[in-house]
Amino acid sequence: MASRCILQIALLLSFTTSLSLSYDLLQLQQQQRSSNSACLKLLRQVKGKPEHCQQDRMDFKFPEEIKQPRPFQKEMAALVIQEMLQNIFVIIRKEFSTTVWNKTIVDDLLDKLHQQMDRLKSTILQERPEDTNMTTLRLKSYYWRISRYLTARENSICAWTVVQAELISKFPIINSLTDYFQD
Amino acid sequence: MDNWIKLPGCQHITGSKCDFFPLINFYEEIKFRVRAEEENSTSSWYYVDPFIPFQKARLGPPEVRLEAEDKAVIIYLFRPGKRDGTSIWDMDALSFEFSLVFWENSSHGEEQEIKTNFYISKMYDLSTETTYCLKAKARLSWKVSAYSPVYCINTTAEHKLLPPENVTFGARNQSYVLTWEYRDVNVTFRAQWLHAFSKLTPWDNSNEWKQIPNCENVRTTYCVFPQSVFQKKEYYFRVQASDGNDTSFWSKEKAVQTEMYSTILPPVVSMKSTNDSLHVFVKAPKKQFDTFTYEIILWENASHTERKLVSKRSDIIIPGLKPLTPYCIKARVLLQDKWNKTSVFSAVVCEKTKPGAAASIPWVIPVIVILLLAVIAFCVMKLLWKCFNYVFFPVFKPPCSIEHFSEQPFGNLLLSTSEEQTEKCFIIENTQSVIIVEEPEETDEDYRKYSSQSSQDSGNYSNEDESLGNQISEALLQLKPQALSCPGELVLGLSSLGLHSS
Repeated sequence: MASRCILQIALLLSFTTSLSLSYDLLQLQQQQRSSNSACLKLLRQVKGKPEHCQQDRMDFKFPEEIKQPRPFQKEMAALVIQEMLQNIFVIIRKEFSTTVWNKTIVDDLLDKLHQQMDRLKSTILQERPEDTNMTTLRLKSYYWRISRYLTARENSICAWTVVQAELISKFPIINSLTDYFQD
Repeated sequence: MDNWIKLPGCQHITGSKCDFFPLINFYEEIKFRVRAEEENSTSSWYYVDPFIPFQKARLGPPEVRLEAEDKAVIIYLFRPGKRDGTSIWDMDALSFEFSLVFWENSSHGEEQEIKTNFYISKMYDLSTETTYCLKAKARLSWKVSAYSPVYCINTTAEHKLLPPENVTFGARNQSYVLTWEYRDVNVTFRAQWLHAFSKLTPWDNSNEWKQIPNCENVRTTYCVFPQSVFQKKEYYFRVQASDGNDTSFWSKEKAVQTEMYSTILPPVVSMKSTNDSLHVFVKAPKKQFDTFTYEIILWENASHTERKLVSKRSDIIIPGLKPLTPYCIKARVLLQDKWNKTSVFSAVVCEKTKPGAAASIPWVIPVIVILLLAVIAFCVMKLLWKCFNYVFFPVFKPPCSIEHFSEQPFGNLLLSTSEEQTEKCFIIENTQSVIIVEEPEETDEDYRKYSSQSSQDSGNYSNEDESLGNQISEALLQLKPQALSCPGELVLGLSSLGLHSS
């Protein structure tokens, strides 16, 4: 009985100390998550009509190794998130058209993405990694396909509706990647 | 079998080199093969090692465009590669870093080296009518380009209308205030703003500067606007003077991080006291920023020695205080790092700690409580167990007065007993009428009814007092000879009658 009690106390202590040590990372995690939901909210405001756009659907082939849960180092997780945010920023900035988007909403979204990237750069990604690894390369490939798709379809509402759905569907992955900030 | 595609622009080449610009996925592995052809015969294919174009590609120098003012030069940078949307560097627009080298042409000695992420830069405080030169190189993660060619430009003659100077930004109540300095009086001003992130991307942002509300054609050297207009993180501001005919060049751009200036409202503090500690709750009135740190000042009401605590959590327990002492607390928000901004202090909240207890006592009370609870629980369990047994496993204990019938099952008593005990039995017979409740012409069944009803009352009979004695003797007279058998039954019948008559 006493040993069980001691074990429970020991577990509780270790839990609380580990909590206090990683507090900054926890805050970063929370910031990322709230930023993500803000971005999602904005992304959803495309002036599109999704019903007409069924035939425009496309499989952009998101890299499988990011979709499937596997242990990521916190720096790697941050790198992947950074790459995703950068590419989303570039696509929206480059291809947005006022027929499809409200400019204020676009600016809001770009600002939030920029803030999130800045935060990552000043915390986990302070030390700039020198190499592009295969995962980030595949991510770039994926976003390049989306960008080409938009250009080929001249940024039509249907094309943007498809891309909007695609971008939105990847935000839960960003959220789950923030789990790895705790190491 | 792979699907080999002919490379456009690289067919029937004479020489040993060709340039191509296919629209391929630069991030996927690509294979090339080359062969020589001569009229009708061809050589075998030479297979180039597969590679990923993005990894192998080298960075060219950036392009530069210069624009001159009288005392400043605007530098427009363009990332290497084509700008028609087919460049291999398209998706990396945000990641470029530029290194600029800037010097005055005549005195070549003084070179300024600037590193920037911005596609538009400006060099200020230059001399009028002087030649300035610039060269730039680009960097993308580990890829570095060579320097671009040198670009030079002459600054213009001094412009009559000077630009405003010393643009400052501040906060006042719930507004922001932009102020500047200007010597002349007969001018109007207008101020513009820009999202900071606009400078990070190569698309033309010259038309992205927006007018600040209430800040156009103002005669004052300041303008006030609500904080709600600028809620994003970072902005640039610039001011221009105009005298009706002419406009000045833009002032130096003021970079503003709104977090630095916006007023932080003070938090709201509440307290709960326990015997030797205080539980403090700090609540920020509105979640303005992501990260809060609280500074709590604690002091005893009587003395004024203050104790300072810093916490990131919004509820804190302060232990080790004196019991039965009033303590006071005030808190303020500390914005972590960078500017060490704080809010004003919250209102002071005072609370008295609870009466203290000796070290040994605290544990006694809960122990007693636990013991009491254990005892109560035990009793309740016992009671429940009793009920459970009574309901499901009843003990068929006959009443004391019919113990003689222990051999017979209980049910037989309800019926007219044909078998009779061998105990002392006697028959009573009498013809006198007695005061009874029921009609004299009682049937056997009625009697039996009484006996059955009284079967539970048998116990009561033994407790009845002597006053019933007369009634009993009277009732005895009424009894029919056949019904009588044994003392036990007799008693049963008596008790029922006795009860009814009383």
